[in-house]
Amino acid sequence: MTHHKYVVALLFSLFTIGNIAAQNADISPERKQAIDSLALEKVRDLSKYISIIGNKKTPFSEANRVMDRAEELFAPDSEMGVSSLNRKEVNYYKVRKYFERLMALNYDRVSITWYNIHYISDLERQPDGRYVGVVTIYQHFEGQTDDGLKYKDTTKKDITIYVERKKTQIQGRIVEFWDVLLGDIKVTETSA
Amino acid sequence: MRITGIFTFIVLCISSYHLQAQLVGDKDDESKLYAQTKQVNQFIRRFNGEEDEKGDRYYPKDKLYRNEKLRKKYLGILFDASNNGINNDLKVQFAKDVLDKAQPAILDFHGGNWFSEVHTTFTMNGKNQTVILFMELEKDHLGSKWVISRVHADMFDPYFKRDTSKVGKFIHPLSHELDFMNLRKAFANSDSVVQFASKRYIPDHLSLFLYEIKRGNLKFKTVEEVKFHFFQINGWYFELSQFNRPGYNTGWLISNLVKVNNETEKNLLRKFLYYERK
Repeated sequence: MTHHKYVVALLFSLFTIGNIAAQNADISPERKQAIDSLALEKVRDLSKYISIIGNKKTPFSEANRVMDRAEELFAPDSEMGVSSLNRKEVNYYKVRKYFERLMALNYDRVSITWYNIHYISDLERQPDGRYVGVVTIYQHFEGQTDDGLKYKDTTKKDITIYVERKKTQIQGRIVEFWDVLLGDIKVTETSA
Repeated sequence: MRITGIFTFIVLCISSYHLQAQLVGDKDDESKLYAQTKQVNQFIRRFNGEEDEKGDRYYPKDKLYRNEKLRKKYLGILFDASNNGINNDLKVQFAKDVLDKAQPAILDFHGGNWFSEVHTTFTMNGKNQTVILFMELEKDHLGSKWVISRVHADMFDPYFKRDTSKVGKFIHPLSHELDFMNLRKAFANSDSVVQFASKRYIPDHLSLFLYEIKRGNLKFKTVEEVKFHFFQINGWYFELSQFNRPGYNTGWLISNLVKVNNETEKNLLRKFLYYERK
């Protein structure tokens, strides 16, 4: 289902931002908007996956399957850098490890919800020709134990997105399209 | 017509597959998060008047792109309001220069004259040490990247301390006639070796830093704090810091503002920021 969705999204990007081969490296406002939509689509999927992984009602096997799906959204070697209000020091986790820690949190009930806010940066070109941007979203977390212990926080997630032009063959024709992968994520506890 | 049909179908497919994650409904928190200057990118866009209140970008064809009124409104919220060190007259003067009708000042990501100060912790032979990295953007191949332009670490300072007011040790002016045979004595005591370096010599912590990492003595631990120094606005310097606190005045905000009257003042300020204190 997820795979099917991205094929559709990919085709969508072909229609909206196709005809790329003859164009230069600058990204037009229209193309930027189409890329932003693709990036947001992946960020929303990640949000959804995090909510499922964190939910204590999710069976272990299902959580593992969702972790696999979530990992597919990321470029290899991506990390989560986590800091909190009372500790400036950043702790670094591989994406999979972060998900596993989230799943293993010691609460009986966990609720992860998202603010309806996102901020998308401009895209900047890297030396290797790929574009990079940052999408910021906010997560609300609530964990509760059976003996009434409650913890809640709001975290800001600054998510790296890599945008790359790729080629595929459709009915014998080489077609270029834009692909978006998620990268490192900085997680900051906020005072909100 | 057929293409329009396919296009509509695809859009419908996307909408039906679009499963939203559960949303938080707190409008008060939400408005605070909207107000927050969430990225340095947003600071620059707000400063330049290049986005709306929701953070959607304006482009040159848009009516409000870099609009003076919009910029004035944004400028007001881009200062750390809790900092009484920046007096109001200075802010007004700054805003007047920035919003000058004939020559408005715009921040340019690739315009140079700004750099980052990154406070990090490394371990040197197992002991935590603060290392300050000064980073700037550099063009490379097809794009750009952040590079380390300078380093300052207090742990390196003792190696370069010297008292230039005293005569101290020296290599006498006719040493060359003896093929500098007295170097043997000069280097016998490592404590005094810095006295033989030129007065103009400025210790280069970046080289030492790279050397110690290569040798395996210095290992990265974490980033503690990041701030930025801007010299892009003619006649002004400002510092940009991140404020993570309750309320509406949060995120990336101007934490220091200085009127720079000439090049000498600018160079002095730069030296100060780079910890070149002599």
